[in-house]
Amino acid sequence: MNNYLPSPADFLPLTTRDSADRLERPSMSYWQDVWQRLQHNRRALTSLFIVVALLLFTTIGPLVWQADPAQQDLEQISQAPNLGLRALVVDDFPEVRELAAGPVSPAQRLPPEKLLAPANLRVLGTAHSEGVHLAWDQVPGASGYQLYRHELNPSGPDDLGLPLITLRGTSLSYRDRLGLQTIEYYYSVAALSQRRQSPNYRTLAVTVGQAIRLSEASYRGLLASADSSYIGSHVQLEIHPLGTDYLGRDMLARLMWGARTSLFIGIVAPLIYVAFGLMYGGLAGYSGGHTDNFLMRFADFVIALPFLLFMILFKIAFGLGPGESGIGPMLIALVLLSWPATARLVRGQVLQIREEPYIAAARLMGASAPYLVLRHMLPNLMSVLLVSLTFAIPTAIFTEAFLSFIGMGVVPPTPSWGSMCNDGIRTMLSHPHELVFPALFISVTVLAFNLLGDGLRDAMDARMRGDS
Amino acid sequence: MYKAFATLHTLIRGAVLAFVTAPCALLQAAPPAVDQSKNEIAIVMSQEPQWLNTVKATDQVSFIVLDHISEGLMTYDINNELVGGVAVRWELTDDKATFWLRKDARWSDGKPVTAQDFVFAWQQVANPANAAEYAFLMRSFTNGEAIISGDMPPESLGVEALDEHTLVAHLTSPIAYFLELVTFISFRPVREDFFRAQGQRYAADADKMLSNGPFILTVWVHGASLRMEKNPHYWNSSAIRLDAINVPYITEDPNARFNLFMDNKIVMATGLDKSATSMAMQKRQKLKSFRDGSTFFIEFNHRPGRATGNLNLRRAMQSVFDADALTYKVIGLPGNIPAVSLFPEWLEGNSQRLVEDFPPPAVVLDPAQGRRYLELAKQELGVEEIPPLSLLLSDTPSSVKQAEYFQDVMMRTLGLEIRLDRQIFKQRLAKMSAGEFDLVAAGWAPDYIDTMTFADLFTSWNLNNRGRYKSKSYDQLVRQAQSTTDKYLRNQAFGKLQSLIFEDVVILPQYERGYIYVQNKQIEGVRRTRVGGDPNYNYAWIEGN
Repeated sequence: MNNYLPSPADFLPLTTRDSADRLERPSMSYWQDVWQRLQHNRRALTSLFIVVALLLFTTIGPLVWQADPAQQDLEQISQAPNLGLRALVVDDFPEVRELAAGPVSPAQRLPPEKLLAPANLRVLGTAHSEGVHLAWDQVPGASGYQLYRHELNPSGPDDLGLPLITLRGTSLSYRDRLGLQTIEYYYSVAALSQRRQSPNYRTLAVTVGQAIRLSEASYRGLLASADSSYIGSHVQLEIHPLGTDYLGRDMLARLMWGARTSLFIGIVAPLIYVAFGLMYGGLAGYSGGHTDNFLMRFADFVIALPFLLFMILFKIAFGLGPGESGIGPMLIALVLLSWPATARLVRGQVLQIREEPYIAAARLMGASAPYLVLRHMLPNLMSVLLVSLTFAIPTAIFTEAFLSFIGMGVVPPTPSWGSMCNDGIRTMLSHPHELVFPALFISVTVLAFNLLGDGLRDAMDARMRGDS
Repeated sequence: MYKAFATLHTLIRGAVLAFVTAPCALLQAAPPAVDQSKNEIAIVMSQEPQWLNTVKATDQVSFIVLDHISEGLMTYDINNELVGGVAVRWELTDDKATFWLRKDARWSDGKPVTAQDFVFAWQQVANPANAAEYAFLMRSFTNGEAIISGDMPPESLGVEALDEHTLVAHLTSPIAYFLELVTFISFRPVREDFFRAQGQRYAADADKMLSNGPFILTVWVHGASLRMEKNPHYWNSSAIRLDAINVPYITEDPNARFNLFMDNKIVMATGLDKSATSMAMQKRQKLKSFRDGSTFFIEFNHRPGRATGNLNLRRAMQSVFDADALTYKVIGLPGNIPAVSLFPEWLEGNSQRLVEDFPPPAVVLDPAQGRRYLELAKQELGVEEIPPLSLLLSDTPSSVKQAEYFQDVMMRTLGLEIRLDRQIFKQRLAKMSAGEFDLVAAGWAPDYIDTMTFADLFTSWNLNNRGRYKSKSYDQLVRQAQSTTDKYLRNQAFGKLQSLIFEDVVILPQYERGYIYVQNKQIEGVRRTRVGGDPNYNYAWIEGN
């Protein structure tokens, strides 16, 4: 099998050396090791970057992006993401030339079937988002007109779209100002005979341009003054990178400020209750016996309390007046009701550590209780704590979002991601960006914190030490 | 032991079975929008009816139900024309109204509707023990005012039953609109023996009420569903073509209502919001609009101790509030028009409409002037800053949106902080009655077709005057209009009232409400009405039946 032939040299004594070969690596502390292993975990690292980016987004963001989250811009309601539209400056109180025909005597009236479609349906002036002024020619024998507006090309007399107005009498023009968006509309007009509508109608496609009133433009600083010579010129409107909501408020600014509420609750509440849970669980575990038994039964009792009910009770107990923010009670409710989970975890760890030989050794050497706790127990608890903290944060963010969504959290105009979702859900189909962005932020944040917690747990697990 | 086990076993199996089958049963139970074979329709309501007691009812949803299950002396026909209901003949003079009741009018238990039932009902409305919000309507009858203030017993109300079928009402002053007035819910009959037998639970459940209208409420699952069936004892039952009206859904969400309509679960979806309207257009549905005759406004609390009691503060708000922007841009739904006065545009004037005869004073938007008023208000109130004002509103998405706009306007132009107090419908009404607000987003729907239904809202004796506005000249003008049947004199008083409301800034008019709705093509004869419960299906029918 082995064809090695020993030589005489093999039987000589070894030469003595001063030093043996040393295999050495820099001595690493526990935390350095954790960090190193976290760095190898791609997912956790990305999540860490996202978390840092979010913190920057909400702290430094508003300094960079100085749009006011509460400023309403009725010119740009539910605007899709854009980089600043150009808008025509128009007069606040335009001269409206009302067209009218001569009176129609009852004898001249015709039944609806005999009424012709109104001729010469046209736009007076320019069609812009502050008003579309329509006019048409008189239909002989008509006693009034019904005006419609559609987003699609009408397919028949039953599909003319929104009934805008019923004009009785002799009016032959109408200025539509109703929630105009910068899209193409199909206006239709049909003559009326008494209350009944003629099946004949005329349709006109109108493309509406963006406009802004003179006073509004000067108020917002888009124009140097409210001088009427600016009328007819164009201005660049504010940039809305993520669009605007149902009152024309900048979504990006609202998301940044909303993040403050969400992250405030998300970080402060877990910090407090994890700290409290640590002390409580530590005390129970360290004392043991009857104290432990009593403390933990109380913790079990607290776990059994329903959160939502207590949230409502706190809100009442606080005597919150109308329109006051529910953030305070929410924080307190979260802290008061969420600590037992951490307390249990810590107690279990402490019970385990208490029985370790090195603790007994330290005791024998005369270590005092505070020394034992600070030197031996706390550092060993740290990993458990950090992991429970990173998992507590997304839970708290989610709770805040949920409570604001059902209207128990922030009050208008303060934004929060949850309340923004609630607002956005109304226009989900027509303006999805109002729901998608806050929902995306909640999802990404919660996911990032969860993955980071996962990574931390892996990195801190002593049994996995050395694996990469 | 074994037996116990068996019982438990059956119990569990039963529970599991119930758990699995209950949703299926529920799904099956929900009737389609139009059931041609059973001659039934299904509708949706926005809220649970609050009071189905005609003495105390105040809300629109209760009115819808009550207009199907009860009938007054006068009523409206399918064309919204005023016709006799329980009364077959009537005579109205300056100080007296006489009604001859039809002999075949019956309660749902078969007993006849008598003049005494009306006398009893009206006494109950006036009785301060019932604290009916519409008690003020009984001021029209002799001794009415004294009864309401508790100085005389309810039995002394100036209404008497000459015999079983003749009713005489003694009026304190001529009432031009008395026939329209008696169509109102508070003037419906109540049968004394039944009312007394039920006690506090009267009209709290379907089996604790009597009906004298075209339909009977047969099922009322609180908060969930209602069902009304044709009343065989109704005197005009041959004119009623539907056999039953189901209310399987109660939801305030316009999108949910629209979806129910598209799923063919309800015959009409009204109050579509922006996205539902847009969706309906994409699906090429025929859209209709209806203005329900009501006016919406911000009402101030004029009680002592409230900052809003200060005229200059109210003037400041008036000079910056833009009803046009609110209506066209924030609400942005067709049908609504900006309100310029408490009196909506449809009210009749002398020869044309009231707003044309007496154009209301126009608000001049002027933030600088508003800030001057605000400074005056601060001096008069002796404060550095006006404390935050609470705005009471219902928690529907659209009212929150309007309130947010109001909040922003006040903050940005006047620096006034407005706090939003969102409450559910019932709670909002309770807080309004208790006066726990500075401002409230309120509205008023007409109770009868006459300007007076709006005009007397802010009189000092009206309990619906939630802000307790009190003005001698206002009361005086209303009394003037109430003391005559002369159209010109009355309208002149209304014109003055309109100016006074503007000068005193009693309210900030917002908009006159309109609805966009879609309706099932098989349903005909649905009556849309400005007074009472809208919509009304009493005379509706299914095409082909």
